[in-house]
Amino acid sequence: MNKTFKTSLAALVFSTSSVLAMAAAQAKEITIWCWDPNFNVAIMKAAGEIYSKTHPDIKINVVDFAKADVEAKLQTTLASGVTTSLPDIVLIEDYGAQKYIQSFPGAFASMNDVVDYSKFAPYKVKLATVDGKTYSMPFDSGVTGLYYRKDYLEQAGFKPEDMQNLTWDKYIEIGKKVSEKTGKKMMGLDPNDAGLIRIMMQSAGGWYFNDKGELNITGNEALKAALKTEGKLLSSGITKPASGWSNWVSTFTSGDVATVITGVWITGTIKATKDQENKWGVAPIPKLDVKGATDASNLGGSSWYVIASSPEKAEAIDFLNSVYAKNVDFYQKILVDQGAVGSLMEARKGAAYETADKFFGGEKIWQKFADWLSKVPSVNYGVFTNEVDSAVAAQLPALGKGGDVDAALKAIEAQAKSSMQ
Amino acid sequence: MDRFTRALAAFFTYAFLGIMAFLSVFPFIWMVMGATNTSIDIVKGKVGIGSALMDNIRAFATTVDVPLVFWNSIKIALIATALTLIVASLAGYGFEVFRSKYRERVYSAILLTLMVPFAALMIPLFIMMGKLGLIDTHWAVILPTIGSAFVIFYFRQSTKAFPSELRDAARVDGLKEWQIFLLIYVPVMRSTYAAAFIIVFMASWNNYLWPLIVLQSNEMKTITLVVSSLASAYYPDFGAVMVSAILATLPTLIVFFVMQRQFVQGMIGSVK
Amino acid sequence: MASANRSLNRYFNINGWFFVAPAALLIGVFMVYPILYSLWMSFQTGKGMMTQFGGLANIKRLFDDPMFVLALYNTMIFFIVQVPVMLTLALFLASLLDNPNLKFRGLIRTAIFLPCVSSLVGYAVLFKSMFVQDGLINSTLVGLHITDQPIPWMTDPFWARVLIIIAITWRWTGYNMIFFLAALQNIDKSIYEASRIDGVPSWGRFFYLTVPMLKPVILFTTVTSTIGTLQLFDEVRNIMTSDAGSAAGPSNSALTLSVYIYNLTFKFVPSFGYAATVSYVIVLAVALLAIIQFYALREKD
Repeated sequence: MNKTFKTSLAALVFSTSSVLAMAAAQAKEITIWCWDPNFNVAIMKAAGEIYSKTHPDIKINVVDFAKADVEAKLQTTLASGVTTSLPDIVLIEDYGAQKYIQSFPGAFASMNDVVDYSKFAPYKVKLATVDGKTYSMPFDSGVTGLYYRKDYLEQAGFKPEDMQNLTWDKYIEIGKKVSEKTGKKMMGLDPNDAGLIRIMMQSAGGWYFNDKGELNITGNEALKAALKTEGKLLSSGITKPASGWSNWVSTFTSGDVATVITGVWITGTIKATKDQENKWGVAPIPKLDVKGATDASNLGGSSWYVIASSPEKAEAIDFLNSVYAKNVDFYQKILVDQGAVGSLMEARKGAAYETADKFFGGEKIWQKFADWLSKVPSVNYGVFTNEVDSAVAAQLPALGKGGDVDAALKAIEAQAKSSMQ
Repeated sequence: MDRFTRALAAFFTYAFLGIMAFLSVFPFIWMVMGATNTSIDIVKGKVGIGSALMDNIRAFATTVDVPLVFWNSIKIALIATALTLIVASLAGYGFEVFRSKYRERVYSAILLTLMVPFAALMIPLFIMMGKLGLIDTHWAVILPTIGSAFVIFYFRQSTKAFPSELRDAARVDGLKEWQIFLLIYVPVMRSTYAAAFIIVFMASWNNYLWPLIVLQSNEMKTITLVVSSLASAYYPDFGAVMVSAILATLPTLIVFFVMQRQFVQGMIGSVK
Repeated sequence: MASANRSLNRYFNINGWFFVAPAALLIGVFMVYPILYSLWMSFQTGKGMMTQFGGLANIKRLFDDPMFVLALYNTMIFFIVQVPVMLTLALFLASLLDNPNLKFRGLIRTAIFLPCVSSLVGYAVLFKSMFVQDGLINSTLVGLHITDQPIPWMTDPFWARVLIIIAITWRWTGYNMIFFLAALQNIDKSIYEASRIDGVPSWGRFFYLTVPMLKPVILFTTVTSTIGTLQLFDEVRNIMTSDAGSAAGPSNSALTLSVYIYNLTFKFVPSFGYAATVSYVIVLAVALLAIIQFYALREKD
C-alpha cells in the first residue's frame, strides 16, 4: 500500500463520515427552555459546545425566557396536551419539582436506567424522585453560606474567627454592635419573601411537609424556630428592608449591609463589585436553637428535566448524562465562568474547586461550599411548596411588628389547607 | 372677579397643570437618564446623565438580536392593527346602519365578552392553536386579538355621527352597500380610524401574556418579551433594561406623535 | 309596494349580516368558544391533567378559601378608591384644558396623555426603581421635608396598595381625560354664555351643566375603568412580585383576583378548574357593577 492510496482512503472515509454527519445534523436538534442569560442559558450553551465536539450530528438550541415565563409556558402546554410544542429539555426550580412530576404524570422521562444518581448530592436526587424513579438531571445547588464584610466587622471589633459556629442570637448581637459602630445594617431583608425562613427551616432538617408529604405546620419545631428568628431579626433593627430581588441585591452591592445569607449562586454578583475586592469572607450560616440544627442549608437551585414525549428523548438524556453526570472539567468551567456550584460530588475534586479565590482574600471558598453541600439535610419539598410559601410570606410583616408566632402558624396552616385541595 | 383673584386662579391653574404634566413625563426622563447610567447607579436612584450609554447599548445588542425582535413586534402590531380596524369598522358600521333585533342580540353578546378576564381563556385558546398547528407562529398572536369588542363598540359609537344624508344620496345614485362603505364611509371617517389605529396599535404592541404563552422560539419573540426576560435575570443589567425599555416605547410614541391631530379629532367624533 | 318593501328589508338584512359576519365569526371562535370551554372547566376538580367532574365543589371551595376572600377584598379596595380618584382627576384636568385661551394647551395635553403610550414592562421597572426604600421618590420627599421617615412603599401593606393605585392612575388618567376632553369640545359653548349672564358661578356651571351633559362619556369611562381595575394584573405582577417565594405585595396586600387566577394556573399546583371558577367571579362582579352604573347614570329622558 503506497502513501497516496492511504491518504486517499483516509480522505474517502473522512468525507463519507462528514456527509453522514451532515445528513444527521439536519435531523437532530435538542431544544432547551431555561431562564437567566448570564447563568443557566450561558451554562447550557457551554454544555452544548462540549457535547457537539463529540456529537457533531446534534444541534443544541437554548431558548431564553424569564423564569416565571418558563413556568407559565410549561404549565399551559402540558395542560393543553399539545406535546409537539414542548421543548426536549426544560429547567425547573427544585421547589416545584414534585408539583410538576405529580401533576403531569408521564410528562417527564425518568433517567434511572442511564444516570448513576449515587454520584450526586443526595438531597438533589431525593427532591425529584417519586416512587423510586428519579426524573431530573441534578444541576446547580443553592447551598447556603454567610458572606460577611471583613472591614465592617473589624471596625465593630470582630475577627473572621468570631463568625464561625454562630447561633442566630449571637448573629443578632454582632449585628447590633455593627450598627452601633459603623452605622451599617447587618443584612438586607425582604419582608415579603420567605426565602430566609426556608433556609433556616431546612438547616434544621424541617420543611412545610413531613417525609410522607403531609402538611406539617403547627407542630413543626424547625418552622416555628425559623419564624421566631425572623421576627427577632425584623424587630431588632439590624436589617435593612428591601423590596424585590434587585433592590435586595443592591443592599450589598452598594455596601449598605455587613452580611449576606443566601445560596452560593450569589457569589458571581458579589464578585462583580470590583471595588469590594478583599473585603469579603465566607462562613457557615448561623444555627437554629432546635434539635437537629446544622449550619448547612439550601436556597433555590434547579435541575434539568427531559420531556417524555420528545422524539429526541434518548439523545437528550445522553447529552445530559455525558456532560452533567460525567464531565468534571465542565463543572470547573462553569464554576470559574458563572460561579455555578453543581451537585455532582466528584466535581469538587477538580482544580477550580481547589483554587484560592483572590476576591475573598485567598480563601478557598469553593472547597467550603462543596463541604457544606454534602451536609445539606434532605427534606421533602412536597407538591405544595409555593402555596405554603405564599401563606408564610403573608405573615412575615406582622411578625416583624411583634406578632405572636403561634397565631402566625395557625393562620399559615388554615391558609395552606384551603389551598391544598 | 377682580384682576387679583383672576391672576391667582390663573396661577394655580398653570401650577397645577404644570405639576401634572411634569409628573406624567418624569418617568420617561428617568428612563432616558437610566439608559446612560450603570446598573448600580440606577438602583441607587442617581439623577443625572451618566456615561454608560454606549456600554448599555452594547450589552443589550450582544444578548439580543435587536433588529429581529423589533421587526417581529412591528410586523405583529401592524398586521393585527390593520385587520382589527377592517373587521371592527365593518361590524360597527353594520350594527349601527342595518339594525335588526337579532343583530342587537349578537352585539350585546359581543359586549359581554369584555367582562371575561383573559387568564381564563388562555388554556382553551392554547389547545385550539395547537389543533390549528399555529403554536409558535405570529398568527397565533394576531388571530385572537382581531375580533375586539371594544373597537367594535368604538366604531359603532362613531358611526352615529356619520351623516345619513350621505348614505341616502349614495343609494339614490345606485351605489352598492359595500361601495358606500368603501368609497364614502372610510374617507369621511379618517380621523376615527386614526384614533382607533393608535389605541389598537398600542394594545397590540404592549401585549405580553398571550405572546409569551404561544411563542416558543427565539426567532419569534417580541420586544416586550425581551424586556421582561432581561429584567428578571438573577443579576439584571438595568442599563441594558433601560435601553430595551426605550426601544419598546419608541414606536408607540412615534405613532402617537405622527397621528396626534387626527387622534384628537377621532376621539371627539366618537363621543358625539 | 309591500313586496318591494320586503325585498328592500331582505337586502338590508343580508347586507347587515355581511358587514358583521367577520367580527362575529372571529369573536365566536376566539372568545365565545373559549369562554364556554372555561365554564365547563369550572366544574372540574383535581391537579393538572388529572381532573374529574366535581359539580359545584369549586364554588363551595370559594367560600372557605381565605386567599380568595383576600383577593376579592383587595380588588374591591382598588376599585372603590382608584376608579373615582382617577376619573375625578381626569375630568378636572379635562375641564381645565377645555379653556381655549389656555397657553401651552396642546403641550400639556400631550404630556398628560403620554403615560398610556409607555410600554408595560418598561413602566413597571421604572416605578420599581423609583419607589424603592432609598430610591428617588423617598429621597425627594424627605429632602422636601414632606415626611421625615422614608415611606415603606413596598414593605408595608397600606403603602403598597397606595403605590399600585398611584401606578395605575399615572398610566390611565390621561387616557380617560382624552375622552372627557373630546366630549367637552362637543358641547355647545353658548349654553355657558347664557348661564354666565344668569350669574351662575363657575363651579355651579360645572356641576349642573357640564357633568349632566357628559353622562354618556362618564358612563363609558366608568364601565371600562371598572373592567380594567377588576381585571388588574399586569401592574401587580410586574411591580410587586418578583420570585416564586414572594407574596403579591406585603401580606399579599396587592393580591388581586386576576393575580390569584394566574397563581392558581401557573404558580401553584395547577388547578385549572378552580381558576376558571374564580374568573367567573370577576365576570359576575363586572356584570353587577356595570348594571348598577348603567342605572345610576341612565339618561332620564
